[in-house]
Amino acid sequence: MPESSPVADEPLAGIDDFESIVREHRPRVFRFLLASLRDKESAENLTQDCFVRAFKARDQFRGESKPGTWLMHIAANLIRDHEANSRLKFWRRKLRSDVDPNDLSDWIPDQQRSPEAIALAREQVEAIWKAASTLSERQRTVFLLRFVEDMDVLEIAAVTGMKEGTVKTHLFRAVQSVRLGLEEGK
Amino acid sequence: MKHLSKDQISKCLIGDATPEETQHAWDCADCRAELTRVESAFSDFRSSAQHWSQRADATDGAIPWNVRIEVATLKGLYGGHETIAGIGSLLIHVAAVGLLLFAGTLPPVQKAMKDFVPLFAPDLKPLQPKPKTEQSKGGGGSPQKTAETKGELPKVAARSFVPPIRPQDDPKLALNPTIVAPDMPNINAPNYGNPLAGIGIPSAGNGIGTGIGAGKGPGVGPGNGGGFGGAVYKIGGGVSAPVPIYKPEPEYSEEARRAKWQGAVLLAIVVDENGVPKDVKVVRSLGLGLDQKAIEAVQKWRFKPGLKDGKAVPVSANIEVNFRLL
Repeated sequence: MPESSPVADEPLAGIDDFESIVREHRPRVFRFLLASLRDKESAENLTQDCFVRAFKARDQFRGESKPGTWLMHIAANLIRDHEANSRLKFWRRKLRSDVDPNDLSDWIPDQQRSPEAIALAREQVEAIWKAASTLSERQRTVFLLRFVEDMDVLEIAAVTGMKEGTVKTHLFRAVQSVRLGLEEGK
Repeated sequence: MKHLSKDQISKCLIGDATPEETQHAWDCADCRAELTRVESAFSDFRSSAQHWSQRADATDGAIPWNVRIEVATLKGLYGGHETIAGIGSLLIHVAAVGLLLFAGTLPPVQKAMKDFVPLFAPDLKPLQPKPKTEQSKGGGGSPQKTAETKGELPKVAARSFVPPIRPQDDPKLALNPTIVAPDMPNINAPNYGNPLAGIGIPSAGNGIGTGIGAGKGPGVGPGNGGGFGGAVYKIGGGVSAPVPIYKPEPEYSEEARRAKWQGAVLLAIVVDENGVPKDVKVVRSLGLGLDQKAIEAVQKWRFKPGLKDGKAVPVSANIEVNFRLL
């Protein structure tokens, strides 16, 4: 077996290990970022940034939480930074036309439903997206983690770095707002 | 038990409800329907998010994550070509500076640099105020009817606090009367006055102010302000009369000609050291525009100035201008 210096081999080995992590968690991270930002390009960039960050900091990952939670934690931080940056670039908010409603509602709901039910479901989904976009960054993150990523409060607390009570408060307020949006959308 | 409130349903949705509330949500058909409705909406929402992300999640166009990692971590900003990058940067800067220097040697640039804009700086010397010639000034006197009398000149000071006439009897703070004048010949006399004046009833003169004499101000003599003497001398007493050397005839005014008006205008003028008439005033008027014509004519006159001790001095004089129709 040819001798190779461990220093040269380590990054490669790390990347190989990392490859599987990326393959496993990328869809989820991307989905969370996309739902949070409602902007495909930003979501893609931040997904890449998320894994670059994770790769750079992989030595600091001590295995206290699941890799998925850890990655989502990085993604949540990225979203916070991104929101802080884009708050300054308010014109981009204007330029970035709201996401095409077809993108949001062009999903195939249960084929068993009647056309009326499908139309109603689409309307409701659109109303939820609209309501979610008006939420504060924290509330939206918590809401999406709970209802898109199906995380429980403990996991959300780990991802966001908030206390359990805080998560519950944000979640409750987010649900109230979204339900209000649903009522209005009726 | 009554139905769950909105807040309670929200709590059920996030799994933060009390066991009783959860139980009621199961038991009560209305509440369960409401919960199901919202939950199914949320479920649809989740499906839409998943569907959207699946559709959007294509690595098309995006840089694969491992390439980005390599660029970011392994190769650094210059991808391992720091030396070449450094030398390249140096060469580019040298070339840029060289280009600037070379541009400076081009003829059009040189010409443009030689074309200077002249700044116009006029010679202001002739416009500067002339230094005031030291002129003896005088004046003073309180408004009394008689002219000043011969007497001892009060002390000369920069300011006259106490006028030299009628000092207060028994003053609380005794202060010697002073005038503002240059040093003057002093004489021994029992009263204050002008050493050059004639003897008469004690008087500080008929001027205005606190000095002695017929002028204004705290000095001595007929002039204005402090000092001794007057701005204008009168003919006589060693002062020679100015002699006109150029006297154009006055014009007749149209009205006076038509009215066949004749007579003489008496003007008071001051002939200055240069023989130029100044301060022309009408003493006796003739009217019909002839006064104005006389003034205009006299202002054109030139004199040999009056002399005092061989020196030209301003002298006041009266001039009669005659208007006669032939």
